[in-house]
Amino acid sequence: MPVFRWLASPWLQIALNALIVTTSEIFLKLGARDTAELTRSWNWTGVTGLWSPWTWLGIIFTILSLVSWLYVLRYVPLSIAFPLSNVVHVLVPLASWIFLGELIGAKRWWGITLVLIGLVIVAKPVARIEEKL
Amino acid sequence: MRALPLVLILCALTAFVTGQLLFKHAMETSHRGFDRNFAKFFVPAIACMTISFFLTLGLLQRFDLSYIYPFQGLSVIIVSIAGGVFLKEKLTVQLVLGALLISIGVVLVSIS
Repeated sequence: MPVFRWLASPWLQIALNALIVTTSEIFLKLGARDTAELTRSWNWTGVTGLWSPWTWLGIIFTILSLVSWLYVLRYVPLSIAFPLSNVVHVLVPLASWIFLGELIGAKRWWGITLVLIGLVIVAKPVARIEEKL
Repeated sequence: MRALPLVLILCALTAFVTGQLLFKHAMETSHRGFDRNFAKFFVPAIACMTISFFLTLGLLQRFDLSYIYPFQGLSVIIVSIAGGVFLKEKLTVQLVLGALLISIGVVLVSIS
């Protein structure tokens, strides 16, 4: 099935991995926000976060992200996959802006821009190799 | 700046990079099956990641995120070069340049 082969593509998995990581971060933040008010003597450990279902969703997505990352590493060199996985540093601020209403300052926009340029530079030769295959 | 937090940050970073290298190597051996040879690299990888996780957590309890996190950005360029050195992956000028830009970008995102 061509659809399955396309889904199994490590390059798509890198993108999927970044989305899973971003989703897990947003869920964990929502969980932390929900439980920030809870006062327990061991609050500082972050364990109180487990009272929120969002935290559990975040944990499930964190585990999923590890599985998808290992799948990526099975096929893609680490020195390429790891820089590409850093697209999360673009996605997380954007998602925090869109879904959580957090603000993005000027310095952060510059950082996001640099990461994007770096991603294009790393990904471009890879895309060319893929075309030849 | 005192030396101890810096040493702890470097330890966390080293454990993280080592963990990634071991994960990659484990997944490469996995093509020959998820056997004992796979576990030989996978289990230490999990151990390294756990050490890095708790060191970072401990640092976060004492310092601001914007102080700790920029060092995470450095991991991009370090992991890429370590992949070339230890895993014999092909490093191109383009790859190193791209990784360097991403590193700087991540540092900027995290200190702002």
